[in-house]
Amino acid sequence: MTSSELVKTFRTVLCPTLTGDQAMELISATVPVSLPAGDLVFREGEKSNGLFILLRGSADVSKQAGDGTAKVLVTLKGPTVVGEMGLITDHPRSATVRAVSDCELHLLTKTQFARMLEAERLAAYKLIAAIADVLARRVEIMDQKILALGASEATGSAPVGELAALRAKLFTEWSF
Amino acid sequence: MSAFEEVNYYFRKAARVMDLSAAVEKMLVTPFREVKVDVSIALDNGQLGTFIGYRIQHDKTRGPMKGGLRFHPSVDLAEAQALASLMTWKTAVVNLPYGGAKGGIAVDPESLTPRELERLTRRFVQQIHDIIGPQQDIPAPDVNTNPQIMAWIMDEYSKFHGFSPAVVTGKPVELFGSKGREEATGRGVVWALEEYLADAGLGEVRGKRFAVQGFGNVGSWACRFLHERGGRVVAIGDARGAIGHREGIDIPTLVEHVAKTRSVAGFPGAQGISNEGVLLADVDVLVPAALGGVITEANAKDIRARIVLEAANAPTTPGADDILEGRGVTVLPDIFVNAGGVTVSYFEWAQNIQQFSWEEEKVNAELHRHMREAYATLARVVKSRKVSFRTAAFIVAIGRVGRATVLRGV
Repeated sequence: MTSSELVKTFRTVLCPTLTGDQAMELISATVPVSLPAGDLVFREGEKSNGLFILLRGSADVSKQAGDGTAKVLVTLKGPTVVGEMGLITDHPRSATVRAVSDCELHLLTKTQFARMLEAERLAAYKLIAAIADVLARRVEIMDQKILALGASEATGSAPVGELAALRAKLFTEWSF
Repeated sequence: MSAFEEVNYYFRKAARVMDLSAAVEKMLVTPFREVKVDVSIALDNGQLGTFIGYRIQHDKTRGPMKGGLRFHPSVDLAEAQALASLMTWKTAVVNLPYGGAKGGIAVDPESLTPRELERLTRRFVQQIHDIIGPQQDIPAPDVNTNPQIMAWIMDEYSKFHGFSPAVVTGKPVELFGSKGREEATGRGVVWALEEYLADAGLGEVRGKRFAVQGFGNVGSWACRFLHERGGRVVAIGDARGAIGHREGIDIPTLVEHVAKTRSVAGFPGAQGISNEGVLLADVDVLVPAALGGVITEANAKDIRARIVLEAANAPTTPGADDILEGRGVTVLPDIFVNAGGVTVSYFEWAQNIQQFSWEEEKVNAELHRHMREAYATLARVVKSRKVSFRTAAFIVAIGRVGRATVLRGV
């Protein structure tokens, strides 16, 4: 990927208000990472080291279910960003990301990012504003989901998973 | 494998047949409440004796919890957990409106004087009186506990909560006990067998040969009922020895002998044999009626009986159970076979609550009905799902507890 392509990709996936120079500054703060298909980008529960920009390739995002099996939530396709929460919180990774094809990524480490903030680099602040915008939108979606859940509980129309399955099983197939 | 793991092994086997999820299994296995208390008393010699008491309450979805109290050095959390969950499944198999519990004190009652035993019992009640009760948890006799101890429990509990005969069952008949309670388990054992024999086209008890391991309350009454029906009990063992007689032991005379000597050993009307000889005797039906874990992987392949009638709790280890099943031996499982005791406990509790006492004929008729209905349900599951009686019993129990759980809501 040429440097101008890289600048364009960073502006698109990270923050459209970055100037070319600011994008370059961010790019130079990152380290390129190449992963063959099947390798882990990061694992749920581990300490996060920063944010990844997935330039090329695709990766599965999965989460452990209660019974210990992994459930794939979504398959990401580059160019996109993954692990942005890891840049600003100290919480462990909330999901596992695994390359499903050969992937080309850039890692912006927490340490580098902290240095940029310390040096009052505008690029870093723009990036925070962009992540805040993403998080605000997620909260909005979640609020709507909670409202929808509350409505279905109130009418009793949608019993939830496990117990409903048990009820169905015990009152039909296993009733003697 | 600990006792708890053994019960859970059978539970899981049934749960797998039913394809229950891991989360549902976990919910059904996890005890409702586990209580461990200090039971300290002044001994007659002036010294302090400190013992540990337990009460595990496994499940109360289908009603107040029910289960015995045992006074034995082996009592611990794991054992009580296992037996408490077994009570949940047992009460469900015979369809009593109860959940399961179990408990006791880690003590050798032989080492106590009667006055110490009374103090110990009363102290234990003082420590657990707020978690037991006629509508909460109703203890009963078990290993080394008897009607007198139940009477003390009733008396001590009533000091805190007012007159409450229904807080405990297995009381003396003179003190709100039920007629027919003492022989109930043994009676139920024989009825369980008769239901199976009739259903399987194997005739009746008359003329069949039996070996009975254990001659305590359950074993001795089972022997008496088998003998009454013309069954030939050819081998009997207890903790002190074992006896055999090719044509069948004269049970009424043996009962008199045991009343005098406290053991079947030395009974003049039979030959002395080894305890293992009882388990491996050439009989139609083997009745383990003493402690758990006597039929093991080591001896299961040599058992000659075609029917194992589990009068004791957990007499067969899971490995032995698989061997017996593989050899085509029918195992009638403890949670069905010995449920007569808890069933008549239920009648005692019902009489106490009604303040009305039943005649023995009514007790026995109701017990017979419960055993018949339980067998009919098990047999339906065995035939329609091609599973063993034990798995069928757990399937029926899990179904009843599970349905009550989802109906009540979690």
